[in-house]
Amino acid sequence: MTLQVAPPDVTTPQDEAVVDRQSGWVLVAEQETRDLWTSGRGLILLFLFSILLSGVTYLTSTNQALNFLEQRESVNLVLQLAVAVGVLVTLVVSADGISGERERGTLESLLVTPVSRRSIIAGKLIAALTMWFATFGITIPYVWVLARDVGILGQALALGFLVGTLVAIGLGSVGLLISGLCNSNKTSIVASIFLLLILFAPTQLPSGLPQGGFFDVLLRANPVASALAYISSVLVEGQSWTEDLVLLITPLLTAIIAGGALVLAGERLVKLTPGVNAG
Amino acid sequence: MTSMTVEAVRLTKHYGDRSAVEDVSFTASRGEIVGLLGPNGAGKTTTIRLLTTVLSPTSGEFSIAGHPSTASAEIRRSVGVLPESSGYPAHQTGGEYLRFFARLYGLSRGVARTVAAELLAAVGLDDRAESLISSYSRGMRQRLGIARSLVNDPVVVFLDEPTLGLDPAGQAQVLEIIRGIAKNRDATVVLSTHLLPEVEQVCSKVVILNHGRVIVSGSVGEVISTALIKQSAQLRVPLDRVERARNVLAGFPDLTVDQLMEQPDVLTLAMDRPRAGSGSGSSDLMNAALAAITAAGIPVLRFELEGARLSDAFLKVTSEAVA
Repeated sequence: MTLQVAPPDVTTPQDEAVVDRQSGWVLVAEQETRDLWTSGRGLILLFLFSILLSGVTYLTSTNQALNFLEQRESVNLVLQLAVAVGVLVTLVVSADGISGERERGTLESLLVTPVSRRSIIAGKLIAALTMWFATFGITIPYVWVLARDVGILGQALALGFLVGTLVAIGLGSVGLLISGLCNSNKTSIVASIFLLLILFAPTQLPSGLPQGGFFDVLLRANPVASALAYISSVLVEGQSWTEDLVLLITPLLTAIIAGGALVLAGERLVKLTPGVNAG
Repeated sequence: MTSMTVEAVRLTKHYGDRSAVEDVSFTASRGEIVGLLGPNGAGKTTTIRLLTTVLSPTSGEFSIAGHPSTASAEIRRSVGVLPESSGYPAHQTGGEYLRFFARLYGLSRGVARTVAAELLAAVGLDDRAESLISSYSRGMRQRLGIARSLVNDPVVVFLDEPTLGLDPAGQAQVLEIIRGIAKNRDATVVLSTHLLPEVEQVCSKVVILNHGRVIVSGSVGEVISTALIKQSAQLRVPLDRVERARNVLAGFPDLTVDQLMEQPDVLTLAMDRPRAGSGSGSSDLMNAALAAITAAGIPVLRFELEGARLSDAFLKVTSEAVA
């Protein structure tokens, strides 16, 4: 075994043939995505989701066959489940992004490379979003089974993809913010799941939220509930895409505010000590 | 480029009221191995994190490879770092891991592959390049970490406890790699470790920290000298020449000479007043005494220097700082 550590036999990094101008965030996103899927974490979450989705699709199909559930409602239910679970797994993965690397001792090696903190965050957010895209990909055949006979397949898929992506970007960013601020990875993940449950709970009330000014505000202030309400209004109530567009203001604002906070505080969030002031 | 690659001037880091590092100043040049020593919590890791821009100093300045502390991106391009207790992604192979880091430094895919292969070979991991890191032993992971710290051909390499938890063979391998980095790459190595005998062997300069402050710095000889370690020696001569040897040594007023009761042919030589400032003061005196004995035609059966090791100096200066 040779232990003579001579410099590698390559030209200087300034050489065009040697230097790759690929952005740091692309490299981080590639690596994080590979880690997420090759480690089995992503596949396990996806497998659990597909079991859940299969069960729900079977039940809604049965109910629909017995005329207990209108077909459009079946599609809506499956799509809502996909958005909710897709966002949940995106949130869980992003909540592990910074605090998890701190605990595993892998963050410092990344911090001493020339890649900016913002690029690290962007790469991690994109990798987390692949969970949502994979979740949605799994949902497509289920939606096809339920929606093909009522002619809303294209609409349902486009709607689910666009709204789900918007919510996933917003809550994925929130997950990374929580991860940067939390002392431990466990705290970060639990806090993120708790946040999603709080946001998701109103949509699971048997008769939905009560009607009225206060509850309307509550619905519209909740990015998950309002996004799901928007999907329902288009798919079940047959509204046009622009009619209840106001319901997407909160998901959009969440994405803009949380994403903006990541951009602004990124340099102070991605570090060895949690919080934005320490270190 | 100037040969000075590390220059820290009154570097200070506070966490609220607590001071982690206070007025730390030192310099290092190309090809030099600097030992950053100190008890646990002395501020070694914080100093390395400040110099590698992972932490921001509360006050003070530093430059790395000629780049001021404000040019953090340039500094990161110029340094290689093995952090203390560095973690590794279990699901990557050693080759993938190095290629990823090489690409973060802007190397193209092909060059990153070449660099990774060469570095893995250099640290003796070429036959495990495509094995998962989770299957590596601790020593292999440390060597992989050192290889990673070299992917950008750095001017300065910071190694924080690279031998922590390794068996003696693993420690020797890592120290051999460190020597190679300084010698073959002409890089500066800043080495934080607790292995004082090894530091004595490989380091050209030593900085001892305690409670965040530099207690003493300089060459190993200078540090020992500054610590005012009392150096002594044992001299064994034929029993019938003991008296003559004592007479010769009487010509050295700074030496106290005693005869061992249990071994009457052995004389102990001790410096009365250790000399500060001149790194080789005590050694010079002992050498002169030995030369005088041989010049007088007295056969020397044994001569052993005692009490002037870096570990002695380390314990003395750090315990004095506590007191």
